[in-house]
Amino acid sequence: MSGDLLTLAPLITVIVGAIAVLISDMITPNHNHAPVAVALAALGTTAALLINQGGSSASALGGSYVAGPFVAFLGLLGVSIVSITLLIAPAYLGARKYPTAELAATLLFALGGAILLGATTDLVTLFVGLELMVIPGYILAGYAKRDPLSTEGAVKYFLLGSFSSAILLFGIVVLWGVAGTASLSGIATALASGHTSAALAVALALITTGSAFKIAAVPFHYWTPDAYQGSPTPITGYLSVGPKVGAFVLLIKLFVIALAPLAALWIPVMVVLAAATMTLGNLVALTQSNVKRMLAYSSIAHTGYLMVGIVAAGAGQAAGIAGVLFYTAAYAFMNLGAFAFLTALQGRPGATTQLSDLAGLGRKHPRMALLATIFLLSLTGIPPTAGFFAKTYVILAAVQAGGPATILAVIAVLNAAVAAFYYLRVIVYLFMRDPAEPAVQVAEGPMLRAGLLLAAIGTVALGLAPTPIIEAVVQALAK
Amino acid sequence: MPILSLIIFAPLLGALGIAFLPSSRPSLVRFAALGVSLITFVLSLGILLGIRAQGGEFAFSEQLSWIPSFGITYHLGVDGLSGALVVLTTLLSWICILASFGPIQTRVKEYFISFLILETGMLGVFLSLDLFLFYIFWEIVLVPMYLIIGIWGGADRIYATIKFVLYTLVGSLLMLVAILATAFSHQAVTGSWTGAFDLIALRGTIADPTLQILGFAAFALAFAIKVPMFPFHTWLPDAHVQAPTAGSVILAGVLLKLGGYGFIRFAIPLFPDGAHLFAPLMIALSVIAIIYGALVAIVQTDLKKLIAYSSVSHMGFVTLGIFTFNQQGVDGAILQMLNHGLITSGLFLLVGIGYERTHDREIAKMGGWAVRTPVYAALFGFFLFASVGLPGLSGFAGEFLVLLGSFIANPMVAGASTFVMILAAVYLLYMYQRVFTGPISPFLKGLGSHLTDVTPTEILTLAPLAALIVVFGVMPTILTGSFAQSVQTFLRSAISTVGQ
Repeated sequence: MSGDLLTLAPLITVIVGAIAVLISDMITPNHNHAPVAVALAALGTTAALLINQGGSSASALGGSYVAGPFVAFLGLLGVSIVSITLLIAPAYLGARKYPTAELAATLLFALGGAILLGATTDLVTLFVGLELMVIPGYILAGYAKRDPLSTEGAVKYFLLGSFSSAILLFGIVVLWGVAGTASLSGIATALASGHTSAALAVALALITTGSAFKIAAVPFHYWTPDAYQGSPTPITGYLSVGPKVGAFVLLIKLFVIALAPLAALWIPVMVVLAAATMTLGNLVALTQSNVKRMLAYSSIAHTGYLMVGIVAAGAGQAAGIAGVLFYTAAYAFMNLGAFAFLTALQGRPGATTQLSDLAGLGRKHPRMALLATIFLLSLTGIPPTAGFFAKTYVILAAVQAGGPATILAVIAVLNAAVAAFYYLRVIVYLFMRDPAEPAVQVAEGPMLRAGLLLAAIGTVALGLAPTPIIEAVVQALAK
Repeated sequence: MPILSLIIFAPLLGALGIAFLPSSRPSLVRFAALGVSLITFVLSLGILLGIRAQGGEFAFSEQLSWIPSFGITYHLGVDGLSGALVVLTTLLSWICILASFGPIQTRVKEYFISFLILETGMLGVFLSLDLFLFYIFWEIVLVPMYLIIGIWGGADRIYATIKFVLYTLVGSLLMLVAILATAFSHQAVTGSWTGAFDLIALRGTIADPTLQILGFAAFALAFAIKVPMFPFHTWLPDAHVQAPTAGSVILAGVLLKLGGYGFIRFAIPLFPDGAHLFAPLMIALSVIAIIYGALVAIVQTDLKKLIAYSSVSHMGFVTLGIFTFNQQGVDGAILQMLNHGLITSGLFLLVGIGYERTHDREIAKMGGWAVRTPVYAALFGFFLFASVGLPGLSGFAGEFLVLLGSFIANPMVAGASTFVMILAAVYLLYMYQRVFTGPISPFLKGLGSHLTDVTPTEILTLAPLAALIVVFGVMPTILTGSFAQSVQTFLRSAISTVGQ
């Protein structure tokens, strides 16, 4: 039992940390910084525990929770995501008189879900982890509760989210029944015998639909732009990254591990979804003049690129999963960075950022514009940034897989060229247009600056020296 | 000492240093940038001397493990061909920086930082022997050029710069897929990632016929857009017209050569079968580019656009020479690359000098310019005759050798292309006549004392180019000798394995 506790220590720390955040808020109701400090301390401890567990393969909860490098990698990525969000959000929320403590606690709960999701080896814990991760997301989307846009986005997100969870759950239950076991690897073994039935087809269809909702693949993406645009900007940053990383872990566990024997069935579907997702995401992003909405659609496009890795993994290429994991890390840093930049521009309540508001920013705030450029170049996939290497990694896996995956790789790079247009257009406004009148107020406190800097360091470091992360990823998959 | 790394990263380090200089002192920034580029130039002359002494195919090799999981290494090396192009780059870089002293008056610091980063990217492309590393530098070149055109360019700069980037990006991204496919096929055959991205290890090992064809097609598209070959040339006139003078110079002088170099160094040695399959198409497109570029140049009304189209025509000789696969043709192609780099750069500098005074490039408004500024007119005439291909100046040797090579390969092609040498004389001399001779036009007259002759600084930017044009015109063997070994290696590696 004590061994169990030790294995579960990171998860427990996160949950205890979340509760401690709430308590600290009760004790010091007028200090926004205390809960953030408590949360960061909990995150630090979690990170240390995760690193410590990186080499082990201890299991807990009767074998349904397995610690090890995979959880360590995901957990640390989650810790980075939550930390950066916590650094960039307080100033923004403070200016609008929204509380910070609840954000910190909610994010920690979601992180707990993500860790559980990463560690799980069976369907039940998988679903629990998923829900623990996404339900905080619904709350966060409606964080600006007096803002009708935020409420609308949250309601959409909640309704479609729970709807898709129900579909997914139904599929999981049927799969369990067909395979006779809830263990992910057990399902793979059971299905490997070539067993097919109508029930299995139903399970596959339901799981595919439910998962497509979770990752916001076209045509199940309709909730994203509204949910993203309505939420407070730093929270949008989190929503576009955190739940997406978790959803791809779900995909890896369900499709690449459990449903691997059915790869021939789901790969064609995934290829079509991926191609549609990146193409539509990019084409619609082209037409946006609101920067936040543009980033929302661009995040849909990135879902498509990530799916390329899943397809390659389904075709038996371990590099596919490694590529997805590397991509999630790169995407987390660059996208959070882009949203941190946007947060800095929206210091005043009610500020919305149109492309034209960015005009001439490079002249007045050269450092801020430079950081934004790094994130945008990375999102475009220009070397030597993280985004370039991430894209290369999934494309390499797809080329290795051959067949339809290679065609998907070509579609992906052509999409990258389309995406270059709207990312570079932002740079056009930053540097090549005359300053806008009235000029945008840039609010950069020390915390926001730290968040921006962390994201930028991640974006550049992953591009210049990807080897440590590749090794971590490869090690995470070695077991 | 890792001299090649030093050369590549000296401009980048300089750019970092300049970032800390105060923006309020633009002249300090200007001279710092000039200093950095001159140091890089001197260093590059050093390697030129060392190439022969070192022997072997590539001198000054450096190889460090970088991303070992995929066998990606930091592998640099230089031979006669890349050495010549490196020196062309470092030479044009300091000339461009010096030529920007006057014209660039806004955001001076950002400009020179961009320019030095651009230099690092270009040098990296020429010196990389690892496909992945090469690709990274190839892409890095895009960003500063995008900014240089987009920030310091003319009225339609944003349209031009986005067109430039998107065109180049489409080609290069498909090349990325081809690079990855090549690396993977190496891994699949040998069972190891070692050398999967290494040019030297990969040459002559790609047996898969599909990869030969598709790989060549993808590489060729990327390089054809860069050269640019017809019909991928439409970004070039826009980019040239909108770019600031130094941007046009570096674009014509070096960036277009990245494409020609890519064919010789990467596309053909890696995929000889694919290259032979596509050779008739490439030759046909080259001839079209040569003729079409010249014809379109005749009707241009804007000076810069005229020279831009003449570039399309001249660069057609480069691709034509390469795809003859014989020594004369390839020698000529490389000569043409270097000479075009010297001559067209000079012409763009001269157009820029004129523009500084008139703020106009409309040929119809000019006339009789020689009356007021004889030195300027004489220099313009010198570069113009070099561009026409006057024997004794360097432009002649390259085109002549290309025609000789293509005559061996296909006399029809040579005949059609020779005809263009007359067209070149037509559009250039006709332009010169309208701009410089006759009575002075009302427009130029109206400028009064603003229409000054060239300054000593401007002469300093043109003199090295002019001197080299004469030297290489009289003794082209200096150049052909320096890259003879590269050409031999290229011709050996370009032999189709299928055809044997």
